[in-house]
Amino acid sequence: MIKVARYQLVTPVMFLGLPWAALAAVFAVNAAQGGGGNFRAGLAVIFLLFFVTGVQRIGRWLPFGLALGATRRSFYAGTALLGMSMSLVSGLVIAGLQAIERATGGWGLSITFFRVPYLLDGPWYATWLTSFVGLSALFVYGMWYGILNRRWGMLGLLAFIAVQVLVALAVSFACSRAGAGPLRLRPAGVYPATLTALELTGVIAALTVVCLAGGHATIRRVTV
Amino acid sequence: MTPVISVTGLTRRYPGQVALDDVNLTIGTGTITGLLGRNGAGKTTLLRILAGQEFPSAGSVRVFGSPPAENEKVLRRLVLVREDQEYPDFGYPDFKVSRALRAASFCYQNWDAGLASSLLEDFGLRANKAIKSLSRGQRSALGITIGLAARAEVTLFDEPYTGLDAVARQVFYDRLLAEYADFPRTVVLSTHLIDEAAALFENVVLIDRGRVVLDAAADGLRGMVTTVSGPVLAVDSFTKGRPVWERRGLGSQVSVVIVGQISGEDRERARSLGLDLTPLSLQQLVVHTSGRQVGAGSLAGRTSA
Repeated sequence: MIKVARYQLVTPVMFLGLPWAALAAVFAVNAAQGGGGNFRAGLAVIFLLFFVTGVQRIGRWLPFGLALGATRRSFYAGTALLGMSMSLVSGLVIAGLQAIERATGGWGLSITFFRVPYLLDGPWYATWLTSFVGLSALFVYGMWYGILNRRWGMLGLLAFIAVQVLVALAVSFACSRAGAGPLRLRPAGVYPATLTALELTGVIAALTVVCLAGGHATIRRVTV
Repeated sequence: MTPVISVTGLTRRYPGQVALDDVNLTIGTGTITGLLGRNGAGKTTLLRILAGQEFPSAGSVRVFGSPPAENEKVLRRLVLVREDQEYPDFGYPDFKVSRALRAASFCYQNWDAGLASSLLEDFGLRANKAIKSLSRGQRSALGITIGLAARAEVTLFDEPYTGLDAVARQVFYDRLLAEYADFPRTVVLSTHLIDEAAALFENVVLIDRGRVVLDAAADGLRGMVTTVSGPVLAVDSFTKGRPVWERRGLGSQVSVVIVGQISGEDRERARSLGLDLTPLSLQQLVVHTSGRQVGAGSLAGRTSA
């Protein structure tokens, strides 16, 4: 597992630097435009890049990893562990930058970049936890996509997406039948009003575990 | 000879195709085996299964006495160099030759960085070159470098020198033999350039349409199949009672491929009959053997005796 992590870090810039470089670029654009107190969801780019990194770390790095004697199991565990470690550190950095943003009145420009209404708007440790869980979830989710693509190609991916849509529809239908209505529209967007941010973090953590188990079950028979 | 690789009843089926069909094979420790066969014969599938990259549909595969699939204890002692190896050569910054070597260096405990550097030099390959910009031959050179410098106990080469020029191929043969002499290991080399590599082989395994049709010691094969050419009557007289693989006639002349050792007495007789005896090269042997059912008794059985 350690060897896999070292293998993945043989290009550290690609793994560690790219999401933050992209986030810095988006932040610079936001700063240039001026904040005016409006939230523009620029922070989403780092979450998106964790997903993309998860996809690539399996799709592109697995064949050479197996050629170097790694097992699928150790490759998966090593890559997931590295992604989650990176999420832990990145979550802490986001929490730190959020604190600076608060203290400086939005970097002196009234920018709301690291404070995400409802989701990342609490104390630093809540931001750290939610960021860590969210980044880990997207990384592991991306890994699962990469594995599915490696195992069954585009057809497998489309089937996977179709199943997720069906599950989401079924859950939504069941909730509306039960009168629970988990999604309620509010002026600033769509929030799961029945959950607090930390409860939602717990739900995402549970989904991460599901993704981890799913990815592990899928990679066991992948061939290269 | 202790078998380091042992395959019994190995079958690999894909939809509408049987890539390997009831393959039985043993490869001893510290040998160089030539894995030969036509395109699509099943060589790559066999090597991938040995390296745990593919799964068998049926049968048993043992490397160092254990199944290789998902077995770290086996896989860390084995390296497979593939013609079509995928590298993570995507995105920014470039995945360079040096990074591939560095990754390999901490995966193999016997890795020899000095050997890797000298091989790169011999092949004229720069360490700071991006893998995505390498030519076919340069990618092959990188694979060979990793395969040899890993000094793994089992080294599997699958068409390792595609795109390499004759000089670079000779570098590979020379370095392989030197390495083998210094650090003996079990090498399986799949190749189409049979005559070029024939001198390396101690054993030859020929696969045709997923089945092993020949598994013999290379020394035993030399002189085992001979082309007899000359006048029809003389050739018929000489070849009477011998297993014949092929017969081609042109006017009063005929050329017949026969199986079996040619004794000194036979040579004398051929000379007196005005016949030409030409032993088949390994490549010719493979060409003749592929596509025909060579009974175990007709060649493999005799050569192994």
